[in-house]
Amino acid sequence: MKGKDLVKFFAVVAVIAIMTYLAFAPNGTEIPGVGTIPSAYDIRQAADLKGGLDAVLAPKDKDGKAYAPSNDELNQAKSIIEHRLDAKGVLDRVVAVDYGKKRLTVQIPLKKGTTIENPGSTIDDLGKMAWLTFREIDEEKAANGELVAVEGDPIIEGKNVKKAQYQRDPQDGSHDVALELDDEGTKKFAEATSRLIGKRIGIFMDDMLLSAPNVRVAITDGKCVIEGQDTVEEAVRLAQDIQAGAMPFKLDAESTSSISPILGSNALSVAITSGIVAFILVCLFMLVFYRLPGTIACIALLGHTVMQLLAISWLNITMSLPGIAGIILSIGMGVDANVIIFERVKEELAAGKTLRSAIDVGFKRAFTAVLDGNVTTLIAAAVLLYFGTGPIKSFAYTLIVGVILSFLTAVTASRIMLQSVSGLNIAKHKWLYGVKGVKEQNV
Amino acid sequence: MFDLYGKRFWLFGLSILVILAGVVGYFVNGGFNLDIQFEGGSIVSLQMEDGNFDTAKAEEEVSKAINKKVTAQKSETAASEGKEKIYMLVLNVAEKKQSLSTEELTKVVDTVSKSFNIKKDAQPEIRNVSPFIGEELLRSAIWSIIIVSILIILYIWFRFRTMSSGGPSAGVFGVVGLIHDALVMISVYAIFNIPVNESFIAAILTILGYSINDTIIIYDRIRENSKLSRKTPLPELANKSIIQTLRRTVNTTVTVLISVITVYAFAVYYNIDSVRIFTFPLIIGMISGCYSSICIVSPLWVMWKQHQSKKPTVSKA
Repeated sequence: MKGKDLVKFFAVVAVIAIMTYLAFAPNGTEIPGVGTIPSAYDIRQAADLKGGLDAVLAPKDKDGKAYAPSNDELNQAKSIIEHRLDAKGVLDRVVAVDYGKKRLTVQIPLKKGTTIENPGSTIDDLGKMAWLTFREIDEEKAANGELVAVEGDPIIEGKNVKKAQYQRDPQDGSHDVALELDDEGTKKFAEATSRLIGKRIGIFMDDMLLSAPNVRVAITDGKCVIEGQDTVEEAVRLAQDIQAGAMPFKLDAESTSSISPILGSNALSVAITSGIVAFILVCLFMLVFYRLPGTIACIALLGHTVMQLLAISWLNITMSLPGIAGIILSIGMGVDANVIIFERVKEELAAGKTLRSAIDVGFKRAFTAVLDGNVTTLIAAAVLLYFGTGPIKSFAYTLIVGVILSFLTAVTASRIMLQSVSGLNIAKHKWLYGVKGVKEQNV
Repeated sequence: MFDLYGKRFWLFGLSILVILAGVVGYFVNGGFNLDIQFEGGSIVSLQMEDGNFDTAKAEEEVSKAINKKVTAQKSETAASEGKEKIYMLVLNVAEKKQSLSTEELTKVVDTVSKSFNIKKDAQPEIRNVSPFIGEELLRSAIWSIIIVSILIILYIWFRFRTMSSGGPSAGVFGVVGLIHDALVMISVYAIFNIPVNESFIAAILTILGYSINDTIIIYDRIRENSKLSRKTPLPELANKSIIQTLRRTVNTTVTVLISVITVYAFAVYYNIDSVRIFTFPLIIGMISGCYSSICIVSPLWVMWKQHQSKKPTVSKA
């Protein structure tokens, strides 16, 4: 019996130890055949931790009045912003469309050591109207591998394009974009294409080259096909971009938040330190008040905290400062179930029950109360997740994960450890459970 | 044994006092102080090379550049590593409900960098919210509180319906406790005129979810004790139950407070606003939640039951 208890106890401790290792392995842990388990170091950080720029953009017409775009137009705007960020080399960004509220959200995180010195103008650049042009390629420079347009007026502009659509060539199966031009565009394009046969026409978004097809024949009817895209996605995107060139609105920032990476990383290290201190203080409190069960609660709390970190990392939840506050809050709440259960065990012991039955009754009686408290907290966190914005969402996530895990560890890990340890002779002393007046009540 | 029930009116009085002070604060301060997150507005903070700069000059120049009244403040933050301090120039568009356009933001940054020593390679901190978005956020915040309240009431009703003695009425007073906690938190914000933002809403929701915890434990014990000793009068029984469970009620709150206060203390020392304004309402709510469970909810419920038992016609409850 004793041997079995010891095995159980150390099995739980070993599981927690392994998870602690996994949670703090600097580069994650690779498990052959399974893949890499991400650690706390891989947790995605929100802008308030590593710095960055967040903006909510709303479409406005030329005069700055609100413009109601269609969903297609919003998608086009998204694509344009992505192009512009590509051009700046910002690949780690998030551009999201809110179709209901007709808005775009742009999140630009910062790479280590970089800053955005003037966030206002950066956002202005992103949101300005797109200017799509068809221009003649400078063939002299093209010979050196540099595809740029010749100076001067463009051949046609985005507004001359009536329609740009993806189509698949029925004969060779290539991915094409079909264009249809307006009258003015047709005339200008006919002139240019007859002059440029065998040469290239570049399609530019602002200054960025999207595509540079060869002119095979003079196009006089305003209908042409751009061939030779590699994939469906590429062709669809090109069609979308050309169509978007006629986009009649710009994007204005309705809310901007810019966070300096220096302050962000400062806040992160402060938050982590405060978390460690909080953890130690909570453990000290538990040790002083609950002695042996308190020690077990501390081990369980460590298990709960590292599992929470692993879950956040594994679910790819973005952490913000309120999110970290949520983890630390969970540290405090995580021992609640233990406190409720241990107090009950103490009472049962004082009433003269044997250790084993006191522990059983304690867990059983406290169970519903612990469950109720957790369910109501979950309700609140779930609603918060639905209504909250960025940083608060991250808090709601950590709270949900924390509540579920603390409940699970209290009714499993704490219970198994306490039950198995209580089987040992050395652990029979009631002082270890914080019960006063041991002798009188020892039955 | 300490007679908590006998002193109930003093305990109620304390809560009423706090809430009344909140009402007074509300009118004295002219309503709640809404953060720019809910009202719209603009704050630009620039990291400076050192602490020697003239805020009055910054105020004047920036106000002129964008043609809007701006207030400037100096802020110092202790860096977590090294002894160096971080100095910030904080510019606030003075009129509320006015956000800056991106051109204006650009102008603000340009103006300051021309005549002041902005730290190189530092990114300006900007919080710029249009009143339109603020209003939308405030609306969804209020909705979230309403929805959480309804869901929690439904859950409590469901749980207490099956309770043999006291059932629904116990649930009702549990909800009274939640309302109490929300009111106390709101009162503290009204009294000290603290800006109300999304963090505060998140804190209220968290407390609404958490504070019923302690109440349920006390109810559970009253129920258990009433089975053991049927002849004991209810006030005595309730008092006994509260005292018996006092330690776990207090200790569960203390462990949470230990962690939240630790974070709060660090945030105050290192001047990390977002964490400070998030943890402060949690501290208030935790204390209030513990207090209401012990001193408000159970005594009120016992009073109600006493009142009921004097009316023999009421068979239910």
